[in-house]
Amino acid sequence: MNVQVENHDKVLVAKVEGRVDSSNSQDFERQLQGAIGEDVQAVVIDLGQLAYISSAGLRVVLLVAKTLGQRNVSISLCALSDPVQSVFEISGFNRIIQIYDSQADALAAAG
Amino acid sequence: MGDRDNPDYKILVVDDEPDLERLVRQRMRRHIRRGKYGFEFAGNGVEALEVLTEKKDIDIVLSDINMPRMDGLTLLQQIPEVNSDLRSVIVSAYGDMENIRTAMNRGAFDFVTKPIDFTDLEVTIERTLRHLDEWRAALASRDKLVAIQNELDVATKIQQSILPDTFPHVDGCEVYGCMHAARNVGGDFFDVINLEAGRIGLAVADVSDKGVPAALFMMSSRTLLKGAAVGVEDPGAVLREVNDLLNETNEAAMFVTVFYGVYDPSTRMLTFSNGGHNPPLVVHPDGSSEELELTGGLALGAIPGFEYGQASVRLNPGDLVVFFTDGVTEAINVSNEEFGLESLQGLFGDGMTPSAREAAEMILQAVQDFAGEAPQFDDLTCMTLRVADE
Repeated sequence: MNVQVENHDKVLVAKVEGRVDSSNSQDFERQLQGAIGEDVQAVVIDLGQLAYISSAGLRVVLLVAKTLGQRNVSISLCALSDPVQSVFEISGFNRIIQIYDSQADALAAAG
Repeated sequence: MGDRDNPDYKILVVDDEPDLERLVRQRMRRHIRRGKYGFEFAGNGVEALEVLTEKKDIDIVLSDINMPRMDGLTLLQQIPEVNSDLRSVIVSAYGDMENIRTAMNRGAFDFVTKPIDFTDLEVTIERTLRHLDEWRAALASRDKLVAIQNELDVATKIQQSILPDTFPHVDGCEVYGCMHAARNVGGDFFDVINLEAGRIGLAVADVSDKGVPAALFMMSSRTLLKGAAVGVEDPGAVLREVNDLLNETNEAAMFVTVFYGVYDPSTRMLTFSNGGHNPPLVVHPDGSSEELELTGGLALGAIPGFEYGQASVRLNPGDLVVFFTDGVTEAINVSNEEFGLESLQGLFGDGMTPSAREAAEMILQAVQDFAGEAPQFDDLTCMTLRVADE
């Protein structure tokens, strides 16, 4: 698992690669929280290279979304592979976190 | 800090040279006065063992090799039987590599050579004591870990004991469930709840993450669910109530996926609400199967005020409903392949009519066979509802 961060003006794009499960979810949380600076206005998490996410990983996404929500920072996900999309659909998290097909769509909406 | 009568460390000097005691007391007088070192003396190995038997708090044995009655090399072999918590330093003639090697092989920690250079001896003693302190600290933390492990074993027993192990005998159906926790304390649970008018509440759930925090969240989720199930009829309303209660205090953003259904054996109707859980599988007597529909739910604990939908399905005689957690379908084998839903469906063939228990045990066995030696990180839970044949 690896998190790479790019800044597009005030929008932070975090690209997550590999697998996130209970063995590395704490590391995932540290990397993601650490990447989000004070002056960020929107966060896009690009899951295009994410092969697998367990419920422990979903918890981190939820925690980050809740933290950002309290600061009025928008969060969205994009480019989910079919298995990852299915995890978000079954858990119902697609109903509470905005999901876009591509990073471009997510960035346009975060604009 | 120690004092003269109660020094920090005790050193037993073993030598048949009578003058050595006076020399040690003189050269080490500052350390003795400050209570850092205390010294005991013995003239040979036999006397040394007597001292060690009487005084259990010796930290270092500093022993000569050639002595009457029992030499130093023999003493080294005997020491662990009297005190395994000390370290030995051997005093040998300069260049006597053979004896030094034998002494090290017999467990000596270090050696100094004759004639004793007291500066060198102090350095050796300090190094030995530092090692001893670290060793004792390591032992203490190991003991703490063992204690924690023992507590976790108790937690495992408590957790297993709250899972149903007897299942209601109801005309027209049977129910069975079992769970294998990946770690000591798991985040999965299942429950079978007797409701009014012969109906049965069936729940299977999976808490995000594993370990002790997940287990605590699991315990409160289960209690809340049971309470709500007894008081509220509609599965969707039950999940809504539990979700709101879980959201009252949930700093860690934990959540639990719950499938909750109510089965009425008199009508064979299963009414259910899915709170973000992987859908159960309905297996027909001809071996075909399909997943129950999602009901537009959301994992419980995520956000308050969520409305949970529900759906109903009429089961047929001989149908089997398999409720499970994703530990079943996402079990990994040594080649890093997932067991998958298709393998689960493939276990059932035409004309197989396993009992609820046979089906659940067959599934868990198949998953364990598939996983083989690959380490599993998720709990495995499987609960089955079997509708009686006509």
